[in-house]
Amino acid sequence: MRRNPLLMALKGIAILVVLAWSLIPIAMIMVSSFKTDRDIFAVPPRLAFQPTWTNYVALWERWGDFFHGLLNSLIVTAGATIVAVLASAVAGYAYSRFRHKVLAGSAFFLIFIRLIPPIVITLPLFPAVNWLGLNDTHFILIILYATFFVSLGTLVMRTFIDQIPKEVDEAAHLDGASRLQVLYKLILPLSAQGMVAVAVFVIVYAWNEFLFAFIFTTTRAKTAPLVLSEMIGAVEGVEWGVLFAASTVQLLPVLIFVVLAQKHLVAGLTAGSTKG
Amino acid sequence: MEQRSPLLPALGFIAPVQLFVGVIIFIPALYVFWLSLTESSFGQAPVFVGLANYARVLADPYFWKALVNTVIVVLIVVHVELLLGLGMALLFASGVPFRPLLLAAVLAPYAVSEVSAVVMWRFLFDPEVGFATQALTALGLPPLEWAVVPWQGLLLVSLLSIWLHLPFTFVILYAARLAIPGELYEAAQMDGASGFARFRRVTLPLLVPAMLIAMLFRYIFAFRLFSEVWLLTGGGPARQTEVLAVYLYLEAFRYNAFGDAAATGWLLVVASLVLALWYLRRLYKEMFATYAP
Repeated sequence: MRRNPLLMALKGIAILVVLAWSLIPIAMIMVSSFKTDRDIFAVPPRLAFQPTWTNYVALWERWGDFFHGLLNSLIVTAGATIVAVLASAVAGYAYSRFRHKVLAGSAFFLIFIRLIPPIVITLPLFPAVNWLGLNDTHFILIILYATFFVSLGTLVMRTFIDQIPKEVDEAAHLDGASRLQVLYKLILPLSAQGMVAVAVFVIVYAWNEFLFAFIFTTTRAKTAPLVLSEMIGAVEGVEWGVLFAASTVQLLPVLIFVVLAQKHLVAGLTAGSTKG
Repeated sequence: MEQRSPLLPALGFIAPVQLFVGVIIFIPALYVFWLSLTESSFGQAPVFVGLANYARVLADPYFWKALVNTVIVVLIVVHVELLLGLGMALLFASGVPFRPLLLAAVLAPYAVSEVSAVVMWRFLFDPEVGFATQALTALGLPPLEWAVVPWQGLLLVSLLSIWLHLPFTFVILYAARLAIPGELYEAAQMDGASGFARFRRVTLPLLVPAMLIAMLFRYIFAFRLFSEVWLLTGGGPARQTEVLAVYLYLEAFRYNAFGDAAATGWLLVVASLVLALWYLRRLYKEMFATYAP
């Protein structure tokens, strides 16, 4: 390969632009969350400043709701992840190992359903959920979040289970293992990578989801993004410092998670979107 | 055991996911169609009114405003994402230093919630102290008056949306680019093809399927855009930045016009399916080729 210095310089610039675009908005709120109001509103922006915990203290003292929201987010995310991963793994196994016309139709149905906009189904679900007394519960959010990810989850799991040779389960069957035993003793452990990939998607989605939380929760099951949105809309004007602190707390765990799990995220996206 | 698969155990395995999507998405979606033909509100018995709701929605200038806004935002967001995603995929494929680190940086916005993203972009374009506003002023450009001027509000919505979803488009294209065998480039180079010719003759044609898939998914997902607009402008000023999902939400949950909202919802469903028709046809064939030998 020839190395054209001009080309190399352009490439360096391109890399810097991509980095700035991706990271500056995130870095900005994280850094600003440690600034006093005076530093936040300084024109031109101050890079050197005395870091302070004031905003985090104010968040803790005045927005107890937010920490309650974080706990709710944690519960809902954990619940949705477990439900979605298990249901997807079991279905992925069937789609990988069985062949039948009915399965063809149901696989089509599963992906076709994914195209329906979530907001549309809130119209009939809202009265139904109220009637069942399920609104403002963790349960309803867990079910909704899991439902919107089982289609992609099943696809991803099928792709991963397809990579396990069929001889593995056939040998187990000859040894007298039942299908369920094959599934949970062999297939699930061997497709752990796929389960992690599915979990990554559900976790990121459920932790950040806004629309369903906005419509189906009011107080008890309110998630962190919803409390954040209330902080944006607070009547007495936006308290930027506190808002930055809250955003940082909400975003940091899942950001670290995505960085650590990036390999699985990429694998899952490729398995889920290009193969059907 | 692939030949003569017994159906019953398979049905047992797929039952949970089918039940989820059937009960939570499919039946409600069908029910929305029925709702769209009735006049109803919370706690009121629905009365069949035929297509009256559709007529009213289609005669509502705010619906048309929302439709036009949605189409504009979708077109901007999806195509800019596709171009930027393609550029980034090629940049990464050409070899970058500290690749895992750079990849993590580029994927970072994927972890950010719409709400936090709105906090970020609102502050960046704050008319008084926003960094972006100051940068524009320093360049002698007018600031973005996104809270006052509707098209500038939509521009900020688009920017935010592109920022949030670029990682998705990028990953799809990057993975597709990595899947192109290196021998094709070696062969092209032996034939004396220049860098640009290799891009046009090898890379681009082989990336088209992935580009179509990424574009299609982004069309469908951008089309249901809600949170960014809701949290940034609330549809204002004077309902000028509403998109279809915001229009639907307001009709149903603020103005109690359930029938109108249902009609809008059903139009959204149909539009999404029409957009995906090509994909659905392909999917249908593929599913039957895979599962019904």
